[in-house]
Amino acid sequence: MSSDADGARDLTAPGDLGFALDDIDRDEAIAEGLSVVYGESRARFLGKLAFGGAALIAGLASPPALAAGPEQDVSTLNFDLVFEFLQSSFYLGAVRDGTVAAMRPEKERWARVLGAHELAHVTILKSVLGTKAAAKPFFNFRGITEDEAAFTRTAVAMEDLTVALLAGQAPRFHDRKLTAAVFSLLTTEARHAAWARRIAGVVPVANAFDEPKTLAEVDRVVRRTRFVASRPRTRSRRNPELTG
Amino acid sequence: MLGVGVAAACLGTAFVVRSANGTPERSALRSPSVEIPQPIERAFDVPTPRPLALDRADSLWAPVLRLVEARGAPDQAAAPVARLETRTPEGTTNIVLELGHREDADGRLWVHVRLPVLPNNTTGWVPRDALGGSVEVDTHLVVDLERFTATLFEQGKQVLQARIGVGRAAWPTPRGQFYVRNRLSDFDNRFYGPVAFGLSARSAVLTDWPAGGFIGIHGTNRPELLPGRISHGCIRLRNEDIVRLAQAMPVGTPVTIR
Repeated sequence: MSSDADGARDLTAPGDLGFALDDIDRDEAIAEGLSVVYGESRARFLGKLAFGGAALIAGLASPPALAAGPEQDVSTLNFDLVFEFLQSSFYLGAVRDGTVAAMRPEKERWARVLGAHELAHVTILKSVLGTKAAAKPFFNFRGITEDEAAFTRTAVAMEDLTVALLAGQAPRFHDRKLTAAVFSLLTTEARHAAWARRIAGVVPVANAFDEPKTLAEVDRVVRRTRFVASRPRTRSRRNPELTG
Repeated sequence: MLGVGVAAACLGTAFVVRSANGTPERSALRSPSVEIPQPIERAFDVPTPRPLALDRADSLWAPVLRLVEARGAPDQAAAPVARLETRTPEGTTNIVLELGHREDADGRLWVHVRLPVLPNNTTGWVPRDALGGSVEVDTHLVVDLERFTATLFEQGKQVLQARIGVGRAAWPTPRGQFYVRNRLSDFDNRFYGPVAFGLSARSAVLTDWPAGGFIGIHGTNRPELLPGRISHGCIRLRNEDIVRLAQAMPVGTPVTIR
């Protein structure tokens, strides 16, 4: 961590959240969500990952090279949707846990506005994708939404990562109208990132030139956070042993 | 110098812009020859965001990730009140209803939870890291043992009501605050109808019942007995009503039995 001339702390690098990758998709919940993102049937995608966690990592590091076209557009939009699910759930979690209500007024406004924006992004991406929209993953923020300092730090990293994701993907859409729309998301997310940084007391604009990230790079960062968790199994076909 | 040069070049360059109907128009800069297209039409626009709800969620539940002792206070030294398993007797993920959270003196986060143990209505504290992600629920089931009704509310509004059968005097349905732990269906036992919900409530009488005497909400193969005091403690609905309830009531829903 370094300081700049006016004393503001330097940035936390996107994804540098201090988490270790030690919890790999125990019930294939990530694989199920990402099978849609990677443009394959769930069964086929899971088949590729049949050799377990190592294969999952390898598979995600090398996403399928889809030909530029509508299919790739859907895959990319779905990745963006999963990421927006993550962000909106993160802010909503902090609201729900009472963390946001306990913030000072300026900070509370920031958290509520960003959360509302991310939720609006989810709504529109789901609407655009229709039946091809990826399912919402199950998230476990592991207490971070309940801790104001950790929440703020993570929000900065998440907004920075969103900018890197959209900067990398916006030019890749086959449909130029999608590029135009995602570019509008990108500029909004960049403002989110600057606002988050200001709230956190770090340099609002970290670099003179933003470095885009690939889907695989972003995916690796998200998995390092372990925010995407196994979905609880709450249904069964076993015979009831209730008292009757 | 370079900036000045670029600015001068721009001002001296011809700009033509397209109007909304596509007709070329001179720009305000009165530039005669370079055509600049309109921005590309966007595939979608983001609707006006709705403000996030000012209040907390109606209810939250979370899965139990590891075997853990629930304690009487948010403190590792506090007396244990129950042991929480990761699975229910039906093989589903064990879940708890969240009631609040607090940090201890060491900065460790604890969650106050409702427990599926006897005596009924017991609560305790478990470390946050023993639980998975929280899930919001905005439904609430109210069971009235005197009026023989089960009423489901969603965001405070009544969405469903059904007549029910409840426990006989010898095997009373317990009163208090509980939650839906799991949902069972496609099983091979007509006694329970097509769907059964397992609750966190337990019979205080039938403690030696298989799996510990958990109370459920389920259908029936004897609809003619409803409503009334006819069960071993479970809440019975007609099969068409339990199917309707299953469509509207998610796992984790708080249940008030009064």
